[in-house]
Amino acid sequence: MNGRSLMPRIAGALLFLSLAATTLPRLVALVNNARALLPLAYDVRRERQMGPWYASVKALRRELPPNEPVALVATPRGVESAVFANYYLYPIRTRLFVGRNNYRDAANEPALPKTIAAVYVNHVERTTYDALRDRDLRAGRRVVAAPQLSEPSTTFTLPIAASLDGPAPETFVIEATIANPTPSAAEIRVTFWPKGLVKTLTIAPGSTAAYYDFVHQLFGVTDRGWMQVESSQPLRAAFYFVNRGHDDATLLPKVTSAATDIAAAPVYRDTKLFVVNLNDTAVTATVSGNPIPFAPHAFVSWPVTNVPRVSGNVYAFVATRQLNGRTDFLWPR
Amino acid sequence: MIGLVVTLVLFPLVGWSIGRRSAGEAFLFGAGITGTLLFLAGLVHIPLVAALAVIMALAIIRIATTSRNPDTRHPTPDTRLATAVMVAPLIALTFITTITPLSDFDGRAFWVLKAKGIAHERAIDGPFFRGATLDPRNHYPILIPLDGAVILGVSHDLDDRQIRWLYLGFLLAFALLVRERIGRLVSPAAGAWSAAILVWLPQFAVEGEGGALSAYNDIALAAFAAGAFFELVDGVSQSRGLAVSQDFDASQPRDRQFALWLAFLVLTKSEGLPFALVLLIIGAFVFRKRIAIPAIATTIAAIALFVWRARIPAGDEEDILRMLPTVFCKLPNLGYAIAAFPRHMLLFPRWGLFWIAVVIAAVVALRVDRRMATIAISVIAAMLAIYAGVYTATDWVVSDLIAVTADRLLMHVIAPALMLIALAGYRTKSI
Repeated sequence: MNGRSLMPRIAGALLFLSLAATTLPRLVALVNNARALLPLAYDVRRERQMGPWYASVKALRRELPPNEPVALVATPRGVESAVFANYYLYPIRTRLFVGRNNYRDAANEPALPKTIAAVYVNHVERTTYDALRDRDLRAGRRVVAAPQLSEPSTTFTLPIAASLDGPAPETFVIEATIANPTPSAAEIRVTFWPKGLVKTLTIAPGSTAAYYDFVHQLFGVTDRGWMQVESSQPLRAAFYFVNRGHDDATLLPKVTSAATDIAAAPVYRDTKLFVVNLNDTAVTATVSGNPIPFAPHAFVSWPVTNVPRVSGNVYAFVATRQLNGRTDFLWPR
Repeated sequence: MIGLVVTLVLFPLVGWSIGRRSAGEAFLFGAGITGTLLFLAGLVHIPLVAALAVIMALAIIRIATTSRNPDTRHPTPDTRLATAVMVAPLIALTFITTITPLSDFDGRAFWVLKAKGIAHERAIDGPFFRGATLDPRNHYPILIPLDGAVILGVSHDLDDRQIRWLYLGFLLAFALLVRERIGRLVSPAAGAWSAAILVWLPQFAVEGEGGALSAYNDIALAAFAAGAFFELVDGVSQSRGLAVSQDFDASQPRDRQFALWLAFLVLTKSEGLPFALVLLIIGAFVFRKRIAIPAIATTIAAIALFVWRARIPAGDEEDILRMLPTVFCKLPNLGYAIAAFPRHMLLFPRWGLFWIAVVIAAVVALRVDRRMATIAISVIAAMLAIYAGVYTATDWVVSDLIAVTADRLLMHVIAPALMLIALAGYRTKSI
C-alpha cells in the first residue's frame, strides 16, 4: 500500500471519527433514554418527555367537547405552547388568540369560539373570559395609587358601578378603598342594582380593604349598574370609575338623594345620559320635555349630543369621552 | 406497528411498480408518487381513499404482470465493514423511533398536524386548510403530509406514533440510494462508505430538529434532490459510456425519472421549487432536448401547487416572491446571509469535519471528473446562493432565521457533497 492510496483512507477515517465523536454519545444517550421509557405506556412516555404540560393538555382534551371549536388564549410567551396544544388536541378545532385583548376584539365575529382554554408556558386549562380578565386585572397595576378617602358615613349610593370591557384596551372597573376607622368591626351590605345582587363584607376595626375591580370581585359578574352601600359603622371610602386601558380614573360622588340639574358643558364623543331610579317604586321623569317612566332601581342610559334638561325624582348624569379616551362625568348640582 | 408495516410495504410497492430499482429508490419513488398522485387527485376532488385504492391496485397489477430479469449486478464483498458501519446507527435509530414519542418543533407544529388534518377530513382543501382550525403554515406543500395521512388513514389512528417510521424510512432509503448510485458511478466501496457517512452525520442521525428522529421534511427533500442529482450525473456518465457505470441499467428512462424527482421536490417543501429550477437549468446541459419532459413535469407540479394555494388562506409563512423586490432595502442582512453557511458548515456538533472534507474533495474531484464535479459544485453553489438571497430578503430577524434553518438547508445539498468526497477518494486511490 503506497502513500497515495493510504491518504484517502486516513482522510476518510478522520472524517468518520469526527462524525462518530459527535453522533455516538448522543445516540447512546438517546438509546438510554428510550430504554428508560420502554416500560411505560406511550402517553406516559410523552408525559415523561414533556412534563406536566402534556398532562394538562391530556386533561384538557378529556374535558373539551369534541365537536366544538376552542379558543386558545395564550400569553405572549405561551404561543409555542398553544401551537403544540393545538397539535395534541386535534381533531378538536382551535383558534389561537395571543392575549385576552385579541380574543375580545373578535367578540363580534359569529364564529368566535365560546369555549376558552388559557395557555401558559407550562400548562393549559379550560377557563372563562371573566377568569382571564380577572387574572390580567389582578396582575396589573391599580390606576389610583393614593385614593382620596371621604368623610365617614354609613349609607351612600354610587351612581355608577361597572366591570366591563370595550374594544381593547378599554377596560372599565371600580377601584375601591374602604377604611373602617372605628374600634368595631364594620358589617357592610352592598347591593348592586338593577339586578339586586347583595353581598355582605366585614372590615375589621382600623382596617382598610382595597379592590381592583369591586363589582367583579364582590359579585363575580361583568355588568354595569349602580350601587347602594349600608354599613354598621361609619366608613371612609373612595370609589373610582377607572378605565385601565387609558390609566384614567374619576372619583365617584357619594349620592344621598335624587338630583337632575346638570350644568351645561361641552361634550365630546360617545356622550350618554344616565338616569338612575334610587327608589323602590317606579317613577316618571322628564327628559328634554318628554315624560319617561323608570322601573324601581332602574339604570338607563342613551346617547345624547348635548346636556339635556332632566327633572323628576331620579338621579341623572352625563358621561362623555374626550378624544384622548378619557371619560368625563357631568354630575348634577 | 401498523404504521411500520404500511411504511415498509406500501411505498416500496408503488416504487417497484414503475420499474426495477433498488429498495431505497423504490421507497423514495413510492412515497413521491403516492403523495403526488394523491395531491393531484385531491386538487380535482377525487376522493383520496378511492385514489389510494387505485394507486395500490395498479401497483400490485403492474408488479404481478412485469417479468423480472435476473439480478446481474456484481456482488460487492469489499463493503461489509462499511455496511456494518451504516447499519449500526440505523438499528439504534429504529429502537429509539419505536420507543420515544415525537418531540420536535416543525414536525408537530406544521407537518404531522397537516397529515392529521388530511387523514381526518380526507381532503386537501377541507375545513382544516380553510381556517377552521389553527394551521400556522397553511401554504406549505403537502406531499409528505399526504404520505403521512395514508399511514394514519390505513391505521385508523391519528397518533403520531404511527407516522414516525416514515421519517426514519426516508433516511434509510436515502442512504440506500446514495450507496447504490455512488456505488455505481464511482465504486461500490465509495457508495457504501458514502452511505455510512450520511447516516453518521449528526444533523441527519441525532439532531432533534431536522434529523431522522424528527418529522421535518428536510431529509425527504434531500433524498428527492439526491435522486434528481444522480439522474443528472447518470446522464453524464451514460453520454460518455463511463467505465464505472458497468452496472448501469440503461433501460431506465433517465429524463422521466429526473422529471419525477423534480415534481416531488416542488410538492415537498417551499425550497423544492427553486431547487427544481436549478436542477432543471443544469439538466438542460445534460439532457439537451430531452429536458422538455422534466420541464413539463415541474411546471405541472408548480401550477398544481399554486392552484391549491390559491384556494386556501395563507398562514404566517413568508411570501418569498413578494419579498424578493425588497431585497435591496435589506442589504444589511447580506453580511449575515453570506456568513451563514460557512459558519454553520464549521459547526462541529452538527457536521463534524464533513464540510471541510467536501471543500478539499471539490478541488480534487475537479481533476478527476471535471463534468461530474462541476455539476455537483454547481448544484451546491446555486442552492446556497439562493438560500443566502432569501436570508437577505427575509422579514424575520435574519440571525434568528439562520440559526434555526441553515443546517437544515445544508442537508438539502448533501448528495452532491457526498459525490464530491466519493470522486476525490476514487481519484486519490486510482492515481
